Amino acid sequence: MNILEANNVSKAYAAHKALDDVSISIPKQSIFGLLGPNGAGKTTLIRIINQIIMSDGGEILINGEKLHPKHVNVIGYLPEERGLYKKMKVGEQLMYLAQLKGLSSGEARSRIKNWLDKMSLTEWAGKKVEDLSKGMAQKIQFIATVMHEPDLLILDEPFSGFDPVNANLIKDEIFELREKGATVIFSTHRMESVEQLCDDIAMINHSKKILDGTKKDIKKSYKSNKYQVDYKGQLTGLSPEFSIVETSVIEDDFSQAIIQVQNGQNPNQLLSELINKTEVHGFTEVIPSINDIFITIVEEAQS
Amino acid sequence: MRQIFLVFKREYLTRVKKKSFLLATILTPLLFPALIFGIIYLANTDGGNEDKDIFVLDESGYFADAFNDSDYNYSHVTGTLDEAKAKFQEEGVYGLIHIPVLDLEDATKTRYDNFSFFSETNPGNSVMNDFERVIRVKLESIKLDRSGIDPNVINSLKVSIDLDSFNLGETGEAKENNTGLSSAIGYIFGFLIYMFIFIYGSQIMQSVLDEKTSRIVEVIVSSVRPFQLMMGKVLGVGAVGFTQLLIWIVLMFTLTSVGIAVFGGPAAGMEMMADQMSQEIELTETQETVANIENLLGTVPVVKILVSFLFYFLGAYFLYGALYAAVGSSVDSMQDAQQFMFPIMIPIIAAIISLGFVLDDPHSSLAVTLSMIPFTSPIIMMARLPFGVPTWQLLLSMVLLVGGFMGTIWVAGRIYRVGILMYGAKVNWKTIAKWFTMKV
Repeated sequence: MNILEANNVSKAYAAHKALDDVSISIPKQSIFGLLGPNGAGKTTLIRIINQIIMSDGGEILINGEKLHPKHVNVIGYLPEERGLYKKMKVGEQLMYLAQLKGLSSGEARSRIKNWLDKMSLTEWAGKKVEDLSKGMAQKIQFIATVMHEPDLLILDEPFSGFDPVNANLIKDEIFELREKGATVIFSTHRMESVEQLCDDIAMINHSKKILDGTKKDIKKSYKSNKYQVDYKGQLTGLSPEFSIVETSVIEDDFSQAIIQVQNGQNPNQLLSELINKTEVHGFTEVIPSINDIFITIVEEAQS
Repeated sequence: MRQIFLVFKREYLTRVKKKSFLLATILTPLLFPALIFGIIYLANTDGGNEDKDIFVLDESGYFADAFNDSDYNYSHVTGTLDEAKAKFQEEGVYGLIHIPVLDLEDATKTRYDNFSFFSETNPGNSVMNDFERVIRVKLESIKLDRSGIDPNVINSLKVSIDLDSFNLGETGEAKENNTGLSSAIGYIFGFLIYMFIFIYGSQIMQSVLDEKTSRIVEVIVSSVRPFQLMMGKVLGVGAVGFTQLLIWIVLMFTLTSVGIAVFGGPAAGMEMMADQMSQEIELTETQETVANIENLLGTVPVVKILVSFLFYFLGAYFLYGALYAAVGSSVDSMQDAQQFMFPIMIPIIAAIISLGFVLDDPHSSLAVTLSMIPFTSPIIMMARLPFGVPTWQLLLSMVLLVGGFMGTIWVAGRIYRVGILMYGAKVNWKTIAKWFTMKV
């Protein structure tokens, strides 16, 4: 079951196409990475899902239903450009935002208390936001995003403003929410920052989706059968099935080589050959990063 | 509706709970009377010219007893003008009046020149008028004396009349009206609407701008439709204004009653202990004044004016409030807002400027036209109302105003929904027009 499906969504601003026939599907309880460089159209797609703007064509389904105003309450959205009312007290602000998401004031009050306790911000409830440190304000923003226990959490560039300590705290909370049943969409242009978090990804470039699928499958399909070998001494005279792509010296007589294995050969064969030729200190498969895959695809498209 | 109400509640409460609101609300009704009384007090105490010495050099010999008012400290000097000037400088007096030799033998001569007033500083208009009047009156009385006409004849030629104006209503019943009171009411209500638009319109704009610059707006519009956000804001800020107005009215009534009880009471008591006769006169006079005021108020349609005031007040506020919201959403800072503020203010300023003409002739075609155009009708129609406006004109103007504010709210809403999400865009009228037509 997919919590969200976007089918052939398009959006144009005057002459500029922001989204061109984009389709994605996001499985329930997954962590989904919406990746692509700045200006690719990620925020446009997210705003359409949040019903801030309307698509020109295509449809969005949430839990199989067409997008409807009631769905704003099942979504928690942390925009890239985020802020709080500076002059408002923390508690009142969270109460306001929770009520806008459909919570009753009683329910909101107990949840606010729990979240502030959890983030150790309880004594700040009566303070104005302008008195808070940046890190604390970020935590408040996060609380405001998740307070109404949304099924779908959309985080646009979530870690761009967070310091490392808060970023880890937030990551842990996100995993906990996922355990409880939430689905998370990460949108970012810094692909390495979410690589280890995501189960599924979709890549958008120049308003078009250029790739999607599970991270595992994508990485597998972009594996180029290369291995990285750390060795001591010399490495020469490999059989033609194995070609050295590049070598570099690590220190003294330790070196590193990237070896391309021809199709039909497996790493064990390479390893057994290497053992005869040199002293092996390390052996790993070269797995392309999401960023590398992105660059590969973009370059392929250009040429 | 729930969303609009939540936005409304926040806008209202955050403003009303501010200390500055409390201070402004309580101090303004105190400040205004204090200011007025202060000015009157200063004008009265400062008015004394008794310590100002004036030299009079009267070469004609007619003015020996003319300068006898106690406003200045006059003293006559003799000799030539140059001697008098020297003495004036020597003694450092305030001024020197020089009256040259006059020829009053020719009875047909009516123009006399060459009077001079010397002083170290530029005298004000009122000072010059005082002296001119004294000289003129004296000359006139001398000429009257010489002409041999009985002063009683002159006095009996002067008449005064009282032209009462009446409204001949549809019932044929003549209603007395009062132009002065009508003008005052027109001015006050027109200005109240103007002030309200100005003060609270800018507050709406500030509020929109704050949400935009603090970057919270995207979070908000992910749960509230931009139109709901805008309407909640306009209504919330408007309610703050109403609250303030209400408190002022209550405060002013209380203060006035307290004032009468405290100051009027003992004074009346003392009078009672004083002469019985004079007290009776006092009483009848007071009663007459009260009766007069009641009479005057009876000449204007009070209920109609108050109901219309509320209507135009709200209509004007919605119309301009929505425009202010649109401007706030389009820009990134108060400075950028200036270029859009001016065109919005033009109709209001035009209305205020033409207020004088409208009050001069409340039924001219200018007045009627301006009281129909929604952008000017609230101020102009309020000015016209006390003079009596045909029902069809009032109704048409109201319908047009409703249409007008619905129109501007619609236009503003379309600009607003795009503007609030645009950062750092270079905004001009062309971009705003583009946002207006943009499909969102």
